[in-house]
Amino acid sequence: MYQHNGEEIFVIDAHVHLWDATTENIDHDGGEEFIQCFYDYHTTFTPEEREWSMEEYRKYGPDRMVEDLFGNAAADMAIFQPTYLSDFYVEGFNTTEQNAELATEYPERFVLNGSFDPRDGDEGLEYLEDLHETYDIPGVKLYTAEWRGESKGWRLDDEEAFEFLEKCSELGIENIHAHKGPTIRPLNRDAFDVADVDDAASSFPELNFIVEHVGLPRLDDFCWIAAQENNVYGGLAVAAPFAQNRPGKFSEIMSELLWWLGEDRILFGSDYALWNPDWLVEEVLEAELTQEHRMEYGVEWDLETKKKVMGENAAELYDVDIEEKRRQFQDDEISLEFDLGDHYASEEPAAADD
Amino acid sequence: MTGTESDGSMSAPSRTAVRDRLDRVTDPELDRSIIELEYVDRIEIDGDRVAVEFTLPTAWCSPAFAWMMAVDARDEVESLSAVEAARITLREHMHEAEINRGVNEELSFAEAFPDADGDVAAVRAELDEKARVARQYDAVETLLEAGLDAEAIVALRPRDLKRPEADGDDAAVGATADATEAVAVYVRDRSFAVSVPAEPIERYLEKARETDLVSGPDDVLFRTPEGEPIDANSFDLVHQRGRLAQVNMSSQGGICDGLREAREERLEEPADD
Repeated sequence: MYQHNGEEIFVIDAHVHLWDATTENIDHDGGEEFIQCFYDYHTTFTPEEREWSMEEYRKYGPDRMVEDLFGNAAADMAIFQPTYLSDFYVEGFNTTEQNAELATEYPERFVLNGSFDPRDGDEGLEYLEDLHETYDIPGVKLYTAEWRGESKGWRLDDEEAFEFLEKCSELGIENIHAHKGPTIRPLNRDAFDVADVDDAASSFPELNFIVEHVGLPRLDDFCWIAAQENNVYGGLAVAAPFAQNRPGKFSEIMSELLWWLGEDRILFGSDYALWNPDWLVEEVLEAELTQEHRMEYGVEWDLETKKKVMGENAAELYDVDIEEKRRQFQDDEISLEFDLGDHYASEEPAAADD
Repeated sequence: MTGTESDGSMSAPSRTAVRDRLDRVTDPELDRSIIELEYVDRIEIDGDRVAVEFTLPTAWCSPAFAWMMAVDARDEVESLSAVEAARITLREHMHEAEINRGVNEELSFAEAFPDADGDVAAVRAELDEKARVARQYDAVETLLEAGLDAEAIVALRPRDLKRPEADGDDAAVGATADATEAVAVYVRDRSFAVSVPAEPIERYLEKARETDLVSGPDDVLFRTPEGEPIDANSFDLVHQRGRLAQVNMSSQGGICDGLREAREERLEEPADD
């Protein structure tokens, strides 16, 4: 629980990965370009003293991940968002199975999402069913710019994609996270076009569409779609670290999001290990909207809004009972490991020291 | 009519004239001048030949965008009467070979990039449209500050705009204006006029014309992002979308700036040791 001006904020990091970009796992130049590009984003928006080396960045492993997320209690829970990139990486870059290693060890702390690729056809539908059966996935992360053979991407409003969304609906996989964000080498910028979310969201009102990276560099298209489709949400990954070295810009982006979407449809995510919640959560919570933006947009980044964006909105989408979690985390394995028990006990009736 | 200085065709172009021309080239995604963004590293003038070198924030900036900037730089510099040929060199880009060859051999994008899906025209049109929407925000803000209301603003047409000294010649509006110039805006069936700074209006008109939304004196001046005339009732929403288009561009600019700084630091590091 993040302590903010005497108040506690339950943080669900809605966008994390456990990836493997070691050279042994790369079998296409695209894989090396991809991790190098991630690293550029990492160094661009990370305080210098918190930057990782490239070696650490390629593969950090489950122990370090647990410590980075929960060690200083910056995050209380995290949601895995897989990124397969099977054409670039021998075993995949960040698959459901790779993420499951950690997610099944600490099921109380992690939510495990799956993925699908409509270009896989019937086999893909079976795989989605398998993921549902094996892990009971509550959501999927989709990467429309992923290369597959000759194809350089797909669209959410393709007929084939609709078959998969129907399957999600049928299986109760309600949360559809789509990466719509900055260009990532070597992927094509246009494959991140956000327009396809519009038709999908209006055709599947029973599903929630979380647009990761709030569509940057198509924030305008994203906000306009989200203003009309109330099952469209914005994931803050990439926008969040602006708080650290572009605070005026963060204020402006957040003001726009609050104006167009309101405070109930924005979800915090670090994009770990692009950025590390152990400093990012604090930067975002300490960030302020400029006086000028508050006047212009008439929105506030106040305690209530922060509580929603940092945890409550994700809890709503993923049926997480925050109060129950707080009780559970007083003595779960992770709290014991990092000595965080007191942390989750602070609102209990004052007890004598045991 | 284009407002450029008339260089004597016998003498070499001045560095200022070349820079002024390059200043008109924008990064299409950010709608900011490549001079202002400090992309231009070097201008070399040798008689009637001009060489320009430029670098983008990252090596993987969209090849389509890089292409547009290179082509625009070539065309702007070659539009000077004192210039016979411009040689454009993009540096440190993953597709610099294709782009430099294509631009200097006057190939089309499709010829330079046989693997690409098609030409850059559609991408350019989409970005021009976004730039227009963002520029409209500034123009409309200027008019609101001058006291015009929504109803008056949505009804404006190019014929309602006049440079005070322009002797009633509508065509005078649309040339480049400096910050001190003003334009008269006639409203309420030309019953009165207010004077506003010309620059934001001119900048808007430039893109409105490029996107073919405003071509004649009687076309409706301001439009929704979809290109339709604006209903006074939805004026506020359309204006807010213009603001959003600006925030989108400047946010992307923030990412580009950050990536450029990171790249510069990395390139400089060995020198520090």
